Amino acid sequence: MTVNVNQGVLKRAVGIGLTAVMGVGLLAGCSSDSKTNTATGSTASPTESAERVTLKVEIFDRGNSPAPYTITNNYLSQLIQTNFGDPNNIDVEFVPVQRSEEVTKLNVLMASNTDVPDIVFTYDSSVFYRYAQQGGLTDVGALIDEYGPNLKKFIGEDTLAFGQLDGQQFSIPGKRAITGRYSSYIRQDWLDKLGLPVPTTTDELYTTLKAFKEKDPGGLGSKNIPMGMALAPAQFETLIYSFMKPISGELTYSQRYELPLHEGFKDAMQFLNKLYNEGLISKDFSLDEDKTQLAKDIQNGNVGYWSEDVDVLFYADGTLDNLYKNVQGSKVQPVDVLTNANVDNKHIKSRYASNGMYIMIPKSSKRAVEAVKYLDWMATGNNLIDIYSGVEGENYDLIDGIPVVKADVAQEFADRLFNAGDTAIISNSKNLGDQATNEKAWISGFPERNQEALKQSIAIANTDTIGPIVFGKPIEAESQYGTTLNDKLAVIIVKTAMVKPDQFETVYEQEMKDYMSLGGDKLKAELEKALTEIPAQ
Amino acid sequence: MLLCPVFLHRRRLTLSKASYFRRYWQLYALLSLPLIYFLIFRYGPMYGVQIAFKDFNLFKGIGGSEWIGFDAFREVFGMREFYSTLRNTFMLNFLDLIISFPAPIILAIMLYEIKSVWFKKISQTILYIPHFISWVIIGGIVYQLFGNQSGMVNGVLESMGLNTIPFLTEKNPWLITYLFTGVWQSAGWGTILYLAALTGINRELFEAAEVDGATRLKKIRYITLPSIKPTIVTLLILNLGKMVSIGFDRPYIIGNTAVREYSDVLSTFVYRIGLESGQYTLATVVGLFQAVVGLIFILGSNYISKKVTGNGIL
Amino acid sequence: MMSERTSNRIFDIVNIACVTLFVLFCLAPFLHVIAVSLSSNRAITSGEVTIFPIEVNWNAYIQVFTNNAMIRSLIFTIILTVATTVLCMLFTIAAAYPLTKSKLKGRMLFMYVIIITMFFSGGIIPEYLLIRDLHMIDSVWSLILPGLVSPFNLIILISFFNNIPPSLEESAEIDGSSHFRTLMSIVLPLSMPVMATLALFYAVGRWNGFQDSLMYINNPDLYPLQLKLFQMVQNNMVSELTQMEGASRTALTPESLKAATVIFATVPILLVYPWLQKYFVSGVMLGAVKG
Repeated sequence: MTVNVNQGVLKRAVGIGLTAVMGVGLLAGCSSDSKTNTATGSTASPTESAERVTLKVEIFDRGNSPAPYTITNNYLSQLIQTNFGDPNNIDVEFVPVQRSEEVTKLNVLMASNTDVPDIVFTYDSSVFYRYAQQGGLTDVGALIDEYGPNLKKFIGEDTLAFGQLDGQQFSIPGKRAITGRYSSYIRQDWLDKLGLPVPTTTDELYTTLKAFKEKDPGGLGSKNIPMGMALAPAQFETLIYSFMKPISGELTYSQRYELPLHEGFKDAMQFLNKLYNEGLISKDFSLDEDKTQLAKDIQNGNVGYWSEDVDVLFYADGTLDNLYKNVQGSKVQPVDVLTNANVDNKHIKSRYASNGMYIMIPKSSKRAVEAVKYLDWMATGNNLIDIYSGVEGENYDLIDGIPVVKADVAQEFADRLFNAGDTAIISNSKNLGDQATNEKAWISGFPERNQEALKQSIAIANTDTIGPIVFGKPIEAESQYGTTLNDKLAVIIVKTAMVKPDQFETVYEQEMKDYMSLGGDKLKAELEKALTEIPAQ
Repeated sequence: MLLCPVFLHRRRLTLSKASYFRRYWQLYALLSLPLIYFLIFRYGPMYGVQIAFKDFNLFKGIGGSEWIGFDAFREVFGMREFYSTLRNTFMLNFLDLIISFPAPIILAIMLYEIKSVWFKKISQTILYIPHFISWVIIGGIVYQLFGNQSGMVNGVLESMGLNTIPFLTEKNPWLITYLFTGVWQSAGWGTILYLAALTGINRELFEAAEVDGATRLKKIRYITLPSIKPTIVTLLILNLGKMVSIGFDRPYIIGNTAVREYSDVLSTFVYRIGLESGQYTLATVVGLFQAVVGLIFILGSNYISKKVTGNGIL
Repeated sequence: MMSERTSNRIFDIVNIACVTLFVLFCLAPFLHVIAVSLSSNRAITSGEVTIFPIEVNWNAYIQVFTNNAMIRSLIFTIILTVATTVLCMLFTIAAAYPLTKSKLKGRMLFMYVIIITMFFSGGIIPEYLLIRDLHMIDSVWSLILPGLVSPFNLIILISFFNNIPPSLEESAEIDGSSHFRTLMSIVLPLSMPVMATLALFYAVGRWNGFQDSLMYINNPDLYPLQLKLFQMVQNNMVSELTQMEGASRTALTPESLKAATVIFATVPILLVYPWLQKYFVSGVMLGAVKG
């Protein structure tokens, strides 16, 4: 009896499914006729088929396409086809690559030779260098000079240097609008309750944390976390940077796993060890690599002081909004506390390099000219604003020449720009002019209630920053040992933090010896050699 | 159990070539399609193993890259990480073999002993749910449950005035957590095959045993277990073949930095050198090593099993 | 000594108690995911949600069910799974049955050919090139054909076929039945439980698999459901590389939407097993042997 019913249901379900798919198929058939960016579209009109070419462009797929758009056919892809493709007799076709699997897929596409898009990109410098060294990339130096004047002007010589290998321009680095990275925060209401001033040095911070721990201003008992910590760069990098000595002036080695090669690294670990053993930081920080637990603790009002990426707290319904909702009377103040004794007690912290992703044209591409033209088009006139900000009056209002996101933008309009950041590959965030202008535009996209705090936060992130040294050539040891050493760095931090203070010395020595033998010594030697060969700047 | 000795004795027929073909052509015809599949889709790409002996360049392709002989093997066998990850892979797989392999067998027998049909069906359906929850989500739940400060289990221990247990950050507690999540995730799913095997038991055997006054445990020991022995042996051999290979997600997600020296396994090692550092050649060498060892293990255990139990996979 | 009845009773009670406990363990995380899918984001990110939803709302489900691409992907995945399972079963049976015949010449060779593929493979790049050369990029066949026969499932099927009393097949052969007919009329009917199991293995494998679609599928209309789920869960993870996105990072998918998608993508396949359970009927083989 039940058996029959089940079969009936299944048959019906399959029937519905089939009709639905056929329906979908019909729809897809219809829409592909109207789509301008498919290959069939061009063959349908024989008059122009002779010269019309297809330009294939990689696009990150994050699975967040809002209906009715897809990652390959959406407002922006249509905009690009209409404004760039059609006038130039080019069909722009987007090739989706899953964000988290980009390198795997890119490797396979590169190896296939035939299926690789004409424009590919990655944020990973070692991937770029590997492709360049193996001879897989087009030198676009001359092409940019000929077809990309606007592009060249937009990116600028300094940033273009990131894409060079042995003087050849094997990639076009995107330009980064905001280089500020980290800021720190303190619970003002906790300070007020204890009648304490805002700490301004590392020592004062320690005293304040001690007070948070002993006097428990939040009345939290065992949940009290004086300083929020996670095994993530925003937390441990800020701490390490405030102890280490930069390699040269305001520049230092660019990779995170190169931090142990700096003078002062040990002091940072020792300080962390002290904080951990005195119960001043999150006990479970070693498990919290994606900062989920930290965000939870902050929102529940359990954390007194912490560092974060400059923007993370301030999104609508984000960490800060939730904290204020969960804890009556709470108040968060952006602060710049940690001081570096090695650098005149400045508030040393890291900043981003001025480049974004590495945009590359594979050697097998026959559309290198069109590819450069495309990037040049993007850098021309109002096009970048059209991509990043949408339509004036619908998505944004122009205030003092800055496109300010409308507070009450309709969902339908907002959906247009779901992949704006991934489409505007030449620009990491909105590049409108100088850094201050870019920041203003960026801040305008946040809820008004958080804008003032974000502004302060950005100001802190821009203070006393240390940037990366550009060697203009790959460091072999980086691509060979980078991932291993990155894992090792995490192990060093966790082990040396969690060990009893009297064993700190032994464990630290042991772990550093390990680090060195896993490739750290080769890396050190190569970096130091490269340093001497660097042309005087 | 099922085989009556009389039938085990097959008739011996000597056949001429023509009559052999007449008798067996249908079998070859049946076999031909799957064989073509294996040749095209499994052996077709097999030339890729030569990457292990080449300085692989993505753009020159496999054919165009230069031969380097056994250089890459020397490099891999000289890496300390290779041995530590191999050791961990063995250790985790061995513990799994002792704990996680018998778990579905026990669970299947327990289910088989349940008389209430509806209870049995509902439990089976729920037991296999964890198999469908991805490791990323399981990882999140495990941290919520077993963290030191925030974990619920330790919260309960603390409120009872007991010491907290570092389930995730110290070696032995972590191993138990690792094994437990494995059993939890796969035991229910693993019962399915045993339940299928258990349907083959002749119910009359139980009735006969009951007349003889056998207890429930005796019946399990002498009727239930022997009847699924071939299935157990088959799965055991297949499992032994996987002793040096290990899934990526479970050790990676349940593992963490504090226990990295135990949770770092061959698959995470391969991921690091192959994918993240782009050293395809080294990754292929490790893969080849795993394949050879796996093949030796499966053929060896099959050989031993045939001698000892009479069952095997070949 | 206690009576046999009492000891039986105790056995049953202990047994049911143990199974119930394990069932509850298995159910709890699933309830947690359901609870998350129904809770407000504030409650989720504050860590208040356990197995009961807090600040209940259905927004996440409304979002999933009103997303046409999601529904289309569900239907596509169902059809893909059914087609894959049918083809896989046909091929696996076709391979397994001849390999149970000990007198088949070349049997051992074939077995080795198959077992070797359990360990050796060409790797991701040659596999991609093969699929491209067969013109199967962006075609459903790329998701069906490469995994047509699982050596693991094949060996299990062979081992079950081997357990069928040879007498049955031989008597059929004496009656002049062809191999093909013996397979259809004796072997397969006797093997329904294992066939149902393997069909489930193939179906679940296809349903949960998405790695192949990462490589072979560029057309968003042919994304299997699990790929969409993977995108949501994985693409949101903060990694070394997403660090570099800096100020151009995109907003994260809300946890509740992720959880609702998990439920949406899991429940259909969970329903397959209860339906297959009717093939797990005891004593089928017994009747046949006795008859």
